[in-house]
Amino acid sequence: MIDVRDNWRILMLVVLCLVAALALFGPLGAGDGETGLADNQTISDPTNLEYGLQLSGGARIRGSLVGQTAEGIEFTTGDTGSIERTVADELGVDAIDVTARAGDGQTGTIELFASSDNVSQAEFASALSSAGLDASADDIRDGVTDATRDRATDILQSRVDQTGLSGASVTTVSAATGGSFIIVEAPGEDRESLRELIGSAGRVQVIASYPDPNNDTAPQMDPILNQEDFASIQGATQTDDGGSVGVTLTEEAAEPFAEKMIDAGFTREGVGNCNYDAETDDDPSPNQHCLLTVVDGEIVYGASMGNLADTIDPGQSGDYSGFVADPGFRLNTNSYEEAQRLSINLEAGSLPTRLEIESSEFLSPSYAQAFKPLALVTGLLAWLAVSAVVYFWYRDVRVAIPMLVTATSEVFLLLGFAAAVGLALDLSHIAGLIAVIGTGLDDLIIMADEILQRKEEVKTGRVFQSRFRKAFWVIGIAAATTIIAMSPLAVLSLGDLQGFAIITIVGVIIGVAVTRPAYGDVLRKLMLDDVKRK
Amino acid sequence: MGRIDVEKMPYQEYTNRQLLLIPLVVLGVALLILVGAYFLTGTPVELGMEFTGGTEIRLDAQGASGDEVRATFSSLETESIQGVGSDSSYLLSTQETDTNQFEQLAEDAGYEVQSVESTSASFGSDSQREALIGMVAAFVGMSLLVALAFRTFIPSLAVVASAFSDIVIPVALMNLFGIELGLGAVAALLMIIGYSVDSDILLNNHILRRHGSFYESTYRAMRTGVSMTLTSIAAMTTMFVVATLLGIPLLDSIALILVFGLTADLMNTYLLNVSLLRWYKYEGVK
Repeated sequence: MIDVRDNWRILMLVVLCLVAALALFGPLGAGDGETGLADNQTISDPTNLEYGLQLSGGARIRGSLVGQTAEGIEFTTGDTGSIERTVADELGVDAIDVTARAGDGQTGTIELFASSDNVSQAEFASALSSAGLDASADDIRDGVTDATRDRATDILQSRVDQTGLSGASVTTVSAATGGSFIIVEAPGEDRESLRELIGSAGRVQVIASYPDPNNDTAPQMDPILNQEDFASIQGATQTDDGGSVGVTLTEEAAEPFAEKMIDAGFTREGVGNCNYDAETDDDPSPNQHCLLTVVDGEIVYGASMGNLADTIDPGQSGDYSGFVADPGFRLNTNSYEEAQRLSINLEAGSLPTRLEIESSEFLSPSYAQAFKPLALVTGLLAWLAVSAVVYFWYRDVRVAIPMLVTATSEVFLLLGFAAAVGLALDLSHIAGLIAVIGTGLDDLIIMADEILQRKEEVKTGRVFQSRFRKAFWVIGIAAATTIIAMSPLAVLSLGDLQGFAIITIVGVIIGVAVTRPAYGDVLRKLMLDDVKRK
Repeated sequence: MGRIDVEKMPYQEYTNRQLLLIPLVVLGVALLILVGAYFLTGTPVELGMEFTGGTEIRLDAQGASGDEVRATFSSLETESIQGVGSDSSYLLSTQETDTNQFEQLAEDAGYEVQSVESTSASFGSDSQREALIGMVAAFVGMSLLVALAFRTFIPSLAVVASAFSDIVIPVALMNLFGIELGLGAVAALLMIIGYSVDSDILLNNHILRRHGSFYESTYRAMRTGVSMTLTSIAAMTTMFVVATLLGIPLLDSIALILVFGLTADLMNTYLLNVSLLRWYKYEGVK
């Protein structure tokens, strides 16, 4: 009969291994999740383990939002509009690139969505002074506010969701040295499409371009629709000569839009076709009426009015009430892909500012997934080498085999932990696993040597207990130092190193709390006859 | 058959000065290498792409030779193109972060792009600073904990000094072997802190907290400690050889740096640390 009180450490290890097995292979795991890869791209894996970029392939882009923020500036809510206008005028930037937010109390923040390379902090400060604010360059820092970052994260998430990139994630991390980053990760997705998806602000405008009576070299260009003017987007459709996106205007936008179209002569009979080709032409022709779709300041398509003229003003009478009641039309594009992008930009909204890409990683799925078996082989061979050396030291299978089994169970528990919490394994985690086995074996050797020295003297549980404690003192201090040494990395945002540090810390904790004490008891059972702990 | 014993070191035959000489000379040479590298290149060790910014592209050249691959990219600025692993994979490094043209050329030549990693220079220098903060914080944290555990100056100093040397020597060796300091190397150096204190604490503990003669305690600590370290060296050597043959990134450099560090640890623990503890035990102020 097994004495439970005497062997609880071993029993606990066995129970936890069972739990880990359930997490790894059974229903306890965090689940496979949608990997976003086609079936033929994945190598079948019987476990619930999830794999990160380095072991499953995909793209990850880390970027920061471009901008400067002046904080602790005294102004009140009523002034925000005039401050924004004055600062934008002073600096010669678009009004949309300056945002003033009144805080609780007396002070607020003013954000400028331009990098300090374009507008220096001193220039920004002097523009603020021109707006009647008490601000100096010291009040200005690089970076944007949390509110802006949250909004950007939401927009990026919604863009990624709409593309149907399953398994893609958008997260923010803050660096210890200040500044925050947005990380977008998509499994299997090729890097370029991810870059295109997130790298642009995606600000959509519709500009009316029409002949200017006072200037026959350049057309009159008036922005007539903005992102906010669209009430709903019907999604992209394929057409004979490209793609198009069905849009419906808001009630408030429909009337001025129709009025402008009529005033500028767009609806007049006989207005010629617009021949603007976004791929070859730079500027629209001064003699044509064109509706230009502009994304981030770049014309992506120039359209003729076509049926829209009739829809707005069917009788050439200036009566647009029909259109205002049902203000829907289509924005054309050169290709279906472009239509999709336009639709996403319209739907998700534009980023408040550009996302400057700081680092990007791409691993082809087939290449990355080959590492799984290779890393396993490496681990197995290292394990065999360790087995040989441990056997060489002890020449006793009763010491060596439990030692190797214990070290292996440590890895197993850690993998179970990873499966249970849904940690995505990367090469850095595997390095962490190896670090844990290494320090774990060190500790087991300390334990074995301590308990088995002059083992004929160990006759009573008290002697065993005291040796166990002595060994544990060394193991405990060593474990504590490892945890202390790793903890800065676990909180810093140094990409790969974070995973490494977390696995090492969790592994050391599991080792000290469960596996290494259990090994002491196994040794007592096998090597010391009839010695009970108490 | 019993436990295999390690060689008994004839410590009695040497003075503390003699014992200290070897690790201090090695540490001195290592520091000289770092200082020399600093004056020659501006950094104590060559930094990897993660810290300097730039791009690394790994491609499977489908059997093309190194010269053919170099010819393919001759129109663009590249820093180096090296073969990795045992198949026809190449690692291309460049300071550019716009990688489109590289990927285009690779595709045109029929190569398979296996991975692309790029970092902007500003982000690289941020990471550099952050990694440095992390390393320093880890080292200071370790030192404080050791000081708290032993509550005496010389034994704590022995552990910290040996850990310091265990980190500095591998970094100097990285210079000699041309290994860049990337994130993986930082992980490896931090692992060395963990491994290093294991054997140092064991030694301190045996000498300071146990009955028995100094040499008897030292010998017993050494038997355990040397077994530990040699076992780890065996594991890491295997890992280095296998990971290099299979062309697995990260793991190979981590393993090699750990082999350096563990070997340095053998020397530092059983020469530097032992002599400091012997001086403390027999002559030092208690």
